[in-house]
Amino acid sequence: MTSIIAADGTTIRISGTGPPSDLLAVARESDVRAVAVGSTGVPALEPLVTVTNGGETAVHTDCSTAELDTVVASVSGGSDIRAAEPDAVVEHDPGTATLPPVDLPGLDVGRRRVLGAAGWRRPTDAADHEAAGGFDAPETTAVLDAGADLRGRGWGDLCQDEPLAPTWETTRDADGDPTVVVNAHGNPTDALLLASAPFDVLEGATAAAEAVGADGVIVYASTADERAVETVRAAAANYPDPPVAIDVVTGPAEHRAAEPTMALEAIEGNHRLEARIRPPGPESVGLHGQPTLVHTPRTLANLAVALREGEADTRTVTVEGDVAAPATVELAASDTLSTAVDAVDVDGEFKAACVGGRFGGLTADLDVAVGPAALSAADLGTEGVVQVLADDRCVLEFVGQRTQFAADENCGRCVPCREGTTQLAELLRDIYDGTYAPADIRELVRVMDGSSICAFGVEAGRPARTAVAEFEAELQAHADGDCPTDSCPQPAEVT
Amino acid sequence: MSSEHAHEDAPPLTEEIAPGTAADPAVGGTERATVTVDGTPVTVEAGATLLDAVEAVDTDEYVPALCSYDRQEIGPRSECRTCMVETEAEGIVPACSHPAEDGMSVSTDAEAAAQARDVNLDLVLSNHNLRCTTCGKNGRCELQDASIEQEVEEPRYGVLDERDEYEPLDDTSSFIQIDRNKCILCNRCVEACNDVQVEGVLRMEGSGQDTRIGFQSDAETMEDSTCVSCGHCATVCPTGSLVEKGIEDATTIPIPGFTQKNSVGKAIESSGETKGPMTPKKRDTDRREDPDAAASTPNAPSADDVATDGWAGFEGGEWP
Ligand code: SF4
Ligand code: SF4
Ligand code: SF4
Ligand code: FES
Repeated sequence: MTSIIAADGTTIRISGTGPPSDLLAVARESDVRAVAVGSTGVPALEPLVTVTNGGETAVHTDCSTAELDTVVASVSGGSDIRAAEPDAVVEHDPGTATLPPVDLPGLDVGRRRVLGAAGWRRPTDAADHEAAGGFDAPETTAVLDAGADLRGRGWGDLCQDEPLAPTWETTRDADGDPTVVVNAHGNPTDALLLASAPFDVLEGATAAAEAVGADGVIVYASTADERAVETVRAAAANYPDPPVAIDVVTGPAEHRAAEPTMALEAIEGNHRLEARIRPPGPESVGLHGQPTLVHTPRTLANLAVALREGEADTRTVTVEGDVAAPATVELAASDTLSTAVDAVDVDGEFKAACVGGRFGGLTADLDVAVGPAALSAADLGTEGVVQVLADDRCVLEFVGQRTQFAADENCGRCVPCREGTTQLAELLRDIYDGTYAPADIRELVRVMDGSSICAFGVEAGRPARTAVAEFEAELQAHADGDCPTDSCPQPAEVT
Repeated sequence: MSSEHAHEDAPPLTEEIAPGTAADPAVGGTERATVTVDGTPVTVEAGATLLDAVEAVDTDEYVPALCSYDRQEIGPRSECRTCMVETEAEGIVPACSHPAEDGMSVSTDAEAAAQARDVNLDLVLSNHNLRCTTCGKNGRCELQDASIEQEVEEPRYGVLDERDEYEPLDDTSSFIQIDRNKCILCNRCVEACNDVQVEGVLRMEGSGQDTRIGFQSDAETMEDSTCVSCGHCATVCPTGSLVEKGIEDATTIPIPGFTQKNSVGKAIESSGETKGPMTPKKRDTDRREDPDAAASTPNAPSADDVATDGWAGFEGGEWP
């Protein structure tokens, strides 16, 4: 197949999270070139139809088959792409290989590098990726250099928030046959990358594999992310002359299955998932006892793009929660959380955000940069997921549910997490009975954080810790018998 | 695996034993090392952990190291985290599973380490039915010893005192009795049974608060398991969770009408059927070849949910 990048004539792209078969059928009734591309990361606008001719693209959001019918009739009748009343029109370099910024919420922020392919290139078409500068095998020294600057993204990455190169060195020097595991489990941006930009991920993975002398790449994802799994399988099959073997496996949808050592347990086929102790970590003794890198798709796509375009420090952030529809955007590390939240429609008045995924930190202040240093300094998480809490949401209830989830879903291995999460939930329940003991909560969370085996237990207490630090008055009000948002059961009703 | 196990009625091969636990790496130091513990230099052999060094000196503070066994290749499970010590380079670490490397400096009285040991021991007690007076291990229990030495007076989180939360005693076997309410999940019994005896009877199962000792065959009770009654599991058990029958009341304090059994209140009794010779069942599905085949997707969000609901995939725990 030939590439659709900078192709002559008109190109219609249909973008969405689901298979666009109806729309594609409509478009293909005409002689206009029409292709399916992956989601842009902003499902509120999808199905999103773009009509590109040269350096101009017309955008139709939330496009129905009837609307597409009109668009197709107009374009194949020789009319200007603006004639069919698009929601936006952008001008761009005719040869652009990434979705240009569009003046629509979610598509107008930041700079799409890692997300560049999403909504613009056919996910499993090698020609499109090649036209974007892909498949140009880099020198090992260039990869090692890139790894010195690049930090791992997400709790599923062995190098979360740390530079990759020292870990790679350990793997290179370790005895055995290294493997690279692409851990796509459980993060929305990682699932998006597999479904919309899998070649960037695979290219980063093969580069890392070459850098450490690995002879295989294993992509690991949740069975729940069906589209991502199917798409990356197809992309792996279409990868031209892959330098190493690429396999795709799935694991159970449980939250903990994303933890790097539990990911290895799942890949090895253990029926019960619990974390492994370390040191030594997977970088020296990992999959089947062999040295193993575990990186997220975000990390690897960043690596691939850095190798092609040079390092540029961007972060992907998915905003969800009390919003009309979630959105994933790519921002400079120095942009703030409020830029990310501005990309979505908040349901009601903004009250707080849980920053850093399921066990993120709570804050009312969005004036914090999205880079890892600023987030950590504010006791917020770097998972790249921000959940918005509207003003009718009770902080105690929210934190209680997160803590109870941790108590229910931990692997059961270590005492500070298994018993600590249970006792932490009890300390939070005690608030309804009038006992609010912030010092006890802080003490317990400190021990969970400092002595748990894996990141699950290390992070599980963060919602509670940050609630105590930031929403003291609201917790105290519950102890005094009053829920400021009127959403909690009255103390008398609590059994 | 030694050849003495290759008799008829062969126990399951090690590769087929599915203990339900993670494939941990070997954790000892790579070479002989000199480590400073509370200011005292100690030299330990290759393969040693920091706990070996800690145990070699008279430390400033007591380090319970409750779940550690470290004999017969059992452990470290490194789950109780009552062995935390502070290291100069890496902050607080579990001594029982941290490799001893040359030049390391360890202190037992650092505040964060002492707090972690203390809180974690209380957390162990929070899920333990402290009915010592009717326990067969009373007076020879490692949890008692640790608690006494740690001077626990009133555990911060209480003890497991709600009778309706107790798991029934498994009193079905004529040789071993199980009281899971006293289990600290140290995994010693599982390793003794699988790695030392190579019998493949016991395993770790469940997760979260449902984590428990169970059986690799589909058995629900000790009587129905493939146990050959070697007793090794009871020998290594630090608490009264696994006790050899006949001595389950041996050390209890005779209070009229109050026995080991009714201290828990519920017991599963033997069926009374005599059993033939034990034939270890081979496990079938445990460590599966194809992770896809058995991967579960409970409550998996569909792509549609993700697109329309900002909380899709973020179900919380039941609250309050
Ligand atoms: S921290 Fe939690 S999830 Fe991790 S090993 Fe411990 S019990 Fe398991
Ligand atoms: S007594 Fe039974 S369960 Fe215990 S170690 Fe021996 S065979 Fe295993
Ligand atoms: S039964 Fe005993 S040996 Fe087995 S895990 Fe429980 S406490 Fe440890
Ligand atoms: S003795 Fe180290 S964790 Fe239990």
